[in-house]
Amino acid sequence: MTDLESDDSLLLEFEDDDSESISNIDAPTDSKATHLDSDFANIPPHNVDTDDSEFDIDESQFSEDDLEDDYLVFPIKKTTKDLLDEDSLPSLKYECLTTQEIFDSMKRRVHHLQPVFSLPPQDILILMQRYDWNEERLLEEWTEKMDNLLIESGLNTSGESDGRGVKNGKEFFCPICCEEILTETFSLECGHEYCIDCYRHYIKDRLNHGKIITCMDCSLALKNEDIDQIMGGASSVKLMDSSIKSFIRKHSNSYKWCPYTDCKCIIHLKDTLSLQEYSRLHASRFVTCSMGHSFCFGCGFEIHAPADCRVTDQWVKKARLECENLNWVLSHTKECPRCSVNIEKNGGCNHMVCSSCRHEFCWICGGDWAPHGSSFYQCAIYKNEDKNKLVADTPKKTLRRYAFFYKMFTEHEVSAKLDWKLGETVGFKVKGLQEKIGVSWIEGQFLTESLKTLNEGRTALKWSFAVAYYSDPSHNLTKIFIDNQGLLSNAVESLSELLQIKSPEVIMKRRTEFYNKAGYVKNRTKALLECGRDLLRKGISKARE
Amino acid sequence: MASLPKRIIKETERLASDPVPGISAEPHEDNLRYFAVTIEGPEESPYENGVFELELYLPDDYPMEAPKVRFLTRIYHPNIDRLGRICLDVLKNNWSPALQIRTVLLSIQALLASPNPNDPLANDVAEEWIKNEELAISKAKEWTKLYAGKR
Repeated sequence: MTDLESDDSLLLEFEDDDSESISNIDAPTDSKATHLDSDFANIPPHNVDTDDSEFDIDESQFSEDDLEDDYLVFPIKKTTKDLLDEDSLPSLKYECLTTQEIFDSMKRRVHHLQPVFSLPPQDILILMQRYDWNEERLLEEWTEKMDNLLIESGLNTSGESDGRGVKNGKEFFCPICCEEILTETFSLECGHEYCIDCYRHYIKDRLNHGKIITCMDCSLALKNEDIDQIMGGASSVKLMDSSIKSFIRKHSNSYKWCPYTDCKCIIHLKDTLSLQEYSRLHASRFVTCSMGHSFCFGCGFEIHAPADCRVTDQWVKKARLECENLNWVLSHTKECPRCSVNIEKNGGCNHMVCSSCRHEFCWICGGDWAPHGSSFYQCAIYKNEDKNKLVADTPKKTLRRYAFFYKMFTEHEVSAKLDWKLGETVGFKVKGLQEKIGVSWIEGQFLTESLKTLNEGRTALKWSFAVAYYSDPSHNLTKIFIDNQGLLSNAVESLSELLQIKSPEVIMKRRTEFYNKAGYVKNRTKALLECGRDLLRKGISKARE
Repeated sequence: MASLPKRIIKETERLASDPVPGISAEPHEDNLRYFAVTIEGPEESPYENGVFELELYLPDDYPMEAPKVRFLTRIYHPNIDRLGRICLDVLKNNWSPALQIRTVLLSIQALLASPNPNDPLANDVAEEWIKNEELAISKAKEWTKLYAGKR
């Protein structure tokens, strides 16, 4: 989040109003909160400012590397940044890499190791692959076994390199395909010679397995240069790529693929210890790859705050479980409040007349139509209409409750998608500003920023319904949470409205409004997220089957 | 029918002309990639005097891909499950195109001679094998008599 707070003075008026009213309501439930807050203070600050560490290469960096259960030491660089600006959370330190970058750093390790082994780099590369790129284990075994390790790893120890390589075309009987033809052949020092076609076929299948490729008849290893010689081009790159991929799979607690389609980024989390702290606080570990895709490091899902990974998991599972049919019925039909017939609304206004019992009711709230008249009716809050009858959650009622929250969730999801479309036009608008009224690019960025804020607000709102669904509806904090939802919802809508403006002149004229509303959305989002975390931390909202 | 690779023809010929003692493998009339196999239980093993039927199939990618082999006769063995599937390295990760049908069948015969309960496929069998080897062996002998008797 970048600062839009240059106009802070204006926002504060809004802010103070709300936060005061909320903290008033909050007061009765606070006895527990203070206790928890003191817990917070005990958390050791985990913020080693990574921007600085580039310059002071000191013990702190080394001791940190020692802490890691990973033997890989990547230089701390670029995308390392703080994620959540809340003071209570340790900052996540991570970097965004590609397989190529990981491989390059492996190659640097190989270079470092060369004096130890005094072997050609290709051979060390084989050893590293054999030990899953685990340098420490390799060195340990090396000191114990020396030459035996080389033999086990399929490296030639005789020192002769006779007979290795592709041989020119000749009449040859290949024991693999049993054909006798004029062909090129390949063999290693072991002398197991096969035709080039069989070798190509053999290697092609294995390039994706990420394992050392050996001679077809013994354990002598093919090096990258052999593979390139046989296959032509830089085919060994593919093998290295798959080897790195299997390395990532094996270290999935500190390396994660960006889950976005076709994104090749890998997030490397540097201090896995902070993860425990995050899950204890019901906060999620959101990371952003260098392509700008944000996701949760814990569950690989999209940004789902204020929900934690557990709630998200349950919610998504539930949505899947309540199979499509039921979801359709739930999201497209309602029961007639009097006779419980399922009614699908396929158009028209909210004034419904049940076709079976002729009961007149409001589609939105399900109440009698009579008091509605033609006036506006607030229906965004789910009201437990039958407060007197509130005895037990009958299955039907739970379903309807779920249906409500599910509806709200999907509605915000749809809106978020529409906002993305809006985003595409924002780029043009910024351009329009530049061309028509000569606004500089930097100045025009408030539009892009507003859109970003809007999206963040929407996502928070969307997932807040998952948290709300699992919350105890009678608890005071839940009510506050729902109030917060309402406030953010209003804020988001009015910002969204503002972003629909097309004329560049009007946009520039109402620029302060953009700042104000975006700032307000930002504050409301933060408040909602904090409130949601409170609900989870205090166990008022609990994921359950 | 698609032409059979020379490799398969050669191997089939050799299996007929120079058979492995205690093992027979004959291709099916309609499908020359499908073999009916019998393996005699190795001497001094619980499977002695038994004749076990197996099926063997050479996939399209053979010899780059391992043959698929399965026991048809029921057998009490920690590395062979109820469906006759076999847990053997050369049939999986350690397959190499330089291996052949005969080497695979020999490996299976060797597996009968020395069961490996520490790398089990049939967990219940392996457990019994580790807990009470004598009992397990007698059970294997019983099953051999029951299901793999010479006809």
